Amino acid sequence: MFLRRLYQFTLVYGLALLLLLAIKFFFGLSDYVIPGPQEIWHTARQVSGRYALDVLNTLQVAILGHALSIAMAFAVGIVGRLTSWMGSMIKTAAFNIQAYPIVAVAPIIFILMGDGFSSRLLIAAMICYFPLLLSILGILSEPVEDIEHFFRMTGRITWRLEVRIRAFENLHKLTTVIVGSATLAVVGTIVAEFIAASAGIGVSIRRALYQSDLSKILVALFLIGICTSLYLACLEWGGRRLMRRWQAPVA
Amino acid sequence: MRLVCDGLTYRYPGADHDLFSRLQADIEGPGFHALFGPSGVGKTTLARLMAGTLTGNAGGISAIGLERILYTYNMERLPGWCSVGKHLDDVTPSARVGDMSPLLDTFGIRECLKAHFSQLSLGQRNRANLVRYLLQEFDMLIMDESLANVDERTRQEIILKLKQMFPSKSFLYISHNVVEVARFCRQILVLRGPGKSPRLVKTRGLDCRNSARPETGRLNRTMLEIMNVS
Repeated sequence: MFLRRLYQFTLVYGLALLLLLAIKFFFGLSDYVIPGPQEIWHTARQVSGRYALDVLNTLQVAILGHALSIAMAFAVGIVGRLTSWMGSMIKTAAFNIQAYPIVAVAPIIFILMGDGFSSRLLIAAMICYFPLLLSILGILSEPVEDIEHFFRMTGRITWRLEVRIRAFENLHKLTTVIVGSATLAVVGTIVAEFIAASAGIGVSIRRALYQSDLSKILVALFLIGICTSLYLACLEWGGRRLMRRWQAPVA
Repeated sequence: MRLVCDGLTYRYPGADHDLFSRLQADIEGPGFHALFGPSGVGKTTLARLMAGTLTGNAGGISAIGLERILYTYNMERLPGWCSVGKHLDDVTPSARVGDMSPLLDTFGIRECLKAHFSQLSLGQRNRANLVRYLLQEFDMLIMDESLANVDERTRQEIILKLKQMFPSKSFLYISHNVVEVARFCRQILVLRGPGKSPRLVKTRGLDCRNSARPETGRLNRTMLEIMNVS
């Protein structure tokens, strides 16, 4: 799975790079606008070590932010699945806040909290939290009547059992949602770094942009893609393992 | 032990007409009883109202001497995270553990205990589901097509075993099999289509307690009576 992910990403990246070079040669653009293959290769050899560390720094924040948002989404989702006023209030609030672009709030966070680790973590968590919360709320609010009926009839149903049944029955959906939100966490972290942070690959991209150095940006994008693909593959692998462990093969 | 519906009226939210209007029904005493009627006539709704899983009705449902009414239906599933045997162990009250073994043999699911629910055939699924209900404390068990997808011979064995093992309990068996209902049930509530009055007619079955075939004439008369009123 890991190799396939790397192979797929490299293929897509290679095609995009070829398209960019085709545009350069077709329109006769200068190396200043779109650098040639030799310059890109040269830059890659120069900066890839430093950029790899930056990407790992970014990924570390993204993974932490993602984990934080998953934990928060489950905690709030469990309360929000209730049909009480609290549940409907959480659903309405999550829906409305989700509709607001969190990136627009990022400058306020940097002003209040500075450009350090905590600001990046908060923005990464916030960007993937609300879509996650809405999906988890939807999954945990939907009764699995044909399983829950027995436990209700016999007075055995508890909130833990209810959550377990609903999570188990929707394990595939939950895995997909968590994998999907991982991309948002990475994007959120990079955007946060791009706006104002002092570390991470987003900062390197911002500097390369000021220098109008497209080859550095291309190298950074390549490393971001590789690392994100590996992270997504790890999550998919974990989800599949969990499903294999919990679920029996269908006869 | 008596379950009485006295002037029961029910309308589904958003529906134009009442499904039941001033319905009268009465099941008395323990034994194997039936709720019979054509598809879509409201058998499941009536059963759910009786069990209290559906509310919003007008008129009364009185359960006299029936403290615990359970309702089970044929589409239920066992949780998929453990084997059938583990689930049965988990949900069987300690006082009823002794009943498990004879039920597993009669229902023919002993060989399925290590399997997960998704690995069972449809008939095995229904039987496993019914076994777990029979292992609970109950006064009346409403079985909504609970033996669907089970072959006739096994169905007969199961019904006879239930009568033998639970003589003091009441069962309300919802089925479309008129032969089975006529042969094994004591009181048969025949629910009729809308527009017919009364909506529910009570008739008597042969209440056979062993596998010996009843006299053909008696069985035919009982079946004819059920079909005539339905």
